[in-house]
Amino acid sequence: MKSKIGIAVVLLVVVVLALFLPNFGGRYYTQIFVQVLINIMLAASLRPSLLCGQLNIGHSAFMAIGAYASALLAKNLGLPFELSLLFGGALSAAVGLIMGYPSLRLRGVYFAMVTVSFVEVIRLIAQLWVSLTRGMSGLSGIPKPSLLGMVLTTKASQYYLALGLLVIILLILYRLEYSRLGLIWKSIGMADNLSQSLGINVANYKLLAFTLGCFFAGVAGAYYASFFRFLFPPEFSFLLSVNILVYNFVGGRGHFIGPIVGAAFLTLLVEPFRGSAYETIFFSIAMLLTILFLPGGLITLPGKLAGLWSGSTGSAPATSAAT
Amino acid sequence: MTFELFVQSAIIGLSIGAIYILMALGLTLMFGMMHIINFAHGAVYMLGAFVIYYFFHLWGIPYSLAFFIAMILLGLFGFGVERFIYRTVKGNIEPTLVALLALTTLLQAAGYPVFGPLDKNVPSVFRGNYIIFGTPISAERLMIIPVAAVLVVALYLFINKTKMGAAMRSIEQDKEAAALQGVNVNVVNAMAFAVGFSLAAAAGALIAPIFKLDPMMGEQPLLKAFIIIILGGLGSIPGAILGGLILGFIDSVVATAVGVELAFLLSFVFIILLLLFKPNGLFGYEV
Amino acid sequence: MALLEARNLTKYFGGLAAVNRVDITVNAGEIVGLIGPNGAGKTTCFNLLSGFLPPTAGSITFNGEALVGLKPHHIVKRGLVRTFQLTTLFLDMTVLTNVLLGLHLSSQRGFGRVLLSLRSFPREEITRTHEVLEFTGLAPYADELAKNLPHGRQRTLGIAMALAARPLLLLLDEPVTGMNLDESQQVMNLVKTIRDRGTTVLLVEHNMKAVMGTCERIVVLNFGEKLTEGTPSEVGSNRAVIEAYLGSGGEHA
Repeated sequence: MKSKIGIAVVLLVVVVLALFLPNFGGRYYTQIFVQVLINIMLAASLRPSLLCGQLNIGHSAFMAIGAYASALLAKNLGLPFELSLLFGGALSAAVGLIMGYPSLRLRGVYFAMVTVSFVEVIRLIAQLWVSLTRGMSGLSGIPKPSLLGMVLTTKASQYYLALGLLVIILLILYRLEYSRLGLIWKSIGMADNLSQSLGINVANYKLLAFTLGCFFAGVAGAYYASFFRFLFPPEFSFLLSVNILVYNFVGGRGHFIGPIVGAAFLTLLVEPFRGSAYETIFFSIAMLLTILFLPGGLITLPGKLAGLWSGSTGSAPATSAAT
Repeated sequence: MTFELFVQSAIIGLSIGAIYILMALGLTLMFGMMHIINFAHGAVYMLGAFVIYYFFHLWGIPYSLAFFIAMILLGLFGFGVERFIYRTVKGNIEPTLVALLALTTLLQAAGYPVFGPLDKNVPSVFRGNYIIFGTPISAERLMIIPVAAVLVVALYLFINKTKMGAAMRSIEQDKEAAALQGVNVNVVNAMAFAVGFSLAAAAGALIAPIFKLDPMMGEQPLLKAFIIIILGGLGSIPGAILGGLILGFIDSVVATAVGVELAFLLSFVFIILLLLFKPNGLFGYEV
Repeated sequence: MALLEARNLTKYFGGLAAVNRVDITVNAGEIVGLIGPNGAGKTTCFNLLSGFLPPTAGSITFNGEALVGLKPHHIVKRGLVRTFQLTTLFLDMTVLTNVLLGLHLSSQRGFGRVLLSLRSFPREEITRTHEVLEFTGLAPYADELAKNLPHGRQRTLGIAMALAARPLLLLLDEPVTGMNLDESQQVMNLVKTIRDRGTTVLLVEHNMKAVMGTCERIVVLNFGEKLTEGTPSEVGSNRAVIEAYLGSGGEHA
């Protein structure tokens, strides 16, 4: 009961903060918080795949597909933002479906290797197909986001758009995870052969989780394109895919909130080092420490600390006797 | 293609293939025993090359000695990775892979502040050319072939003629059964890490005087080693050797024909297709 | 009446025959044992019957329907349900959820239905789950995590999950391996009760003694081929069977 009130208070604080953030800082801060929201979208959309026990290291490829597709549609064909966003997501999902169908038979390491390779394929296509993507000069001049024909010119309004998108995505993902579908995903992740022996068409459910993740990664990419208005192939490297995986592991894979906590925490923490080698160093160390010493992720930290605290008070007399 | 050019690209292909084979052998050995792919293998190769840069070039230690130092230091590093990462996550595949990914990105990123932002060069060790079938071949490249061959033979003898090698083979067959027969699985796995790492270090150390050194230099050979072990069948050592020879030849031809970047793209497409349609390798090795 | 009929069942791995021209018949209401020394092809046979491996040759008929080519999840829907050799369970879920999933997953009509139904478990599924827990003696452990159960109970849980899927034929893969005499006796009693309630049982077992008292008919495999078949006493006194077991390390038998 007490913990439920605690959670409610934390949620309330987060919601209030999220709503008023653009009023606190200038453009710079708004940009950081938009980055946080995008990273949460990416991290949360990888979760269904991870629930099924798939080590998917290809998420940045699907973000790139959504980003480039929507940017080109909006820029070259003048498609309204809502449509280009949906097309970006849909194209991502379609490619995910085609990629996923044959590769989901593969297990563990094999699947991870296919997804890693796919990231490089998409990045190199973006780099080499200069006539379409402008290659390494980068794609610029992408239209700003709009809503029902109204162009959102201020960074603050674009922030609220991202917040709205994120809330919708999280609601959908949350609803699915706590439905029968989510239970089936989890059962596949724990023991796929057992699920199969109980009558589950494992391949279909894995494919659904994978494709769904691709769709939302594509949507996140489409928003990214309209906010930053510049796309550069190396942004969508293998490192970004690893980061998305890191958000999930560091936040914790045991609960829906895990990737949200992980993405928010790490994005804000590495902000001072963004773009430098130290960003990656920091990420990698956070990941190693989590895997080795906090396998449940940050969300298990309060519980562990509480246990440690009650443990240490319990053994306090012994410690004082020793000293 | 003139005869001279053919001989030249054949020998260069062979020397590149030899480097790939050294990389692939460790990867396939570790996969066979632990069912993990060591994503950090390229970073270890990079470190092997930088050991040569420091010990040989900066501190003036003879090349052959620096070569062994690279193998020993990174072999010890392999022991450490087994002890502090693999064993801590109790050999579970998924956390091991993720930890190895993190280790890779850590080593690569740390390379920039530690080694400095500029590419490094190591001066030639073997100067001059050898004339083979009337074609001049640089001694540097030629030397890779016998050194790699010696290492491959040494690995073969180690696996087939020593007690430790027998223990490795028994783990590859059936880990539980090996443990029941009194094989200390932890120690043998640590040995596999050490052997794999020192072979990758040897590859890096061999290439150091030829290529430019930078923290990302291990990516391409790692990718090539992936292709090789998939070609040869994951876990198969003869498959890795054969795959390495094939790829070495194709590589020098394709890269000159279509350009480095497109060749890179094609190799990833090739990996995906191989994994999807021939996951057991070209030679039908049963997984 | 034959419930399950496998004819000429054959499986090659590479060039080696793991199972070679084996015939197995299981009649409705029987408890049949499939035994053999290590490496005799029992587990391969088991995987062929449950659709986890495609046979190289041969036919499998279950309840009048051909099974070869069907996916495991389709075979389950027809009433042939298997368990796993080791403790393959949803370890991080409670005992109740495990059985509930056994019931629930098998009763799913299909993909579309799952997507449309957002409700959690219907009441009748929960009632049925408690019945199964009661019947298998797991009721006191209902809220424990599966990973915290003692080894013997984990095996029982595996059987309970399969039972929840309402099988016509239950395939048990080495249900008593690694158990002491007491535990294995309990499991064998459970098997008899399951049969008495109308489920046919085919069990694969390495431990010959454990199945002698339970099975009505025993099929013996050796080197991938059927060595003999008969009542427990016939099989137990068969020289070839004794030699097969002695030859592969009789201390296990």
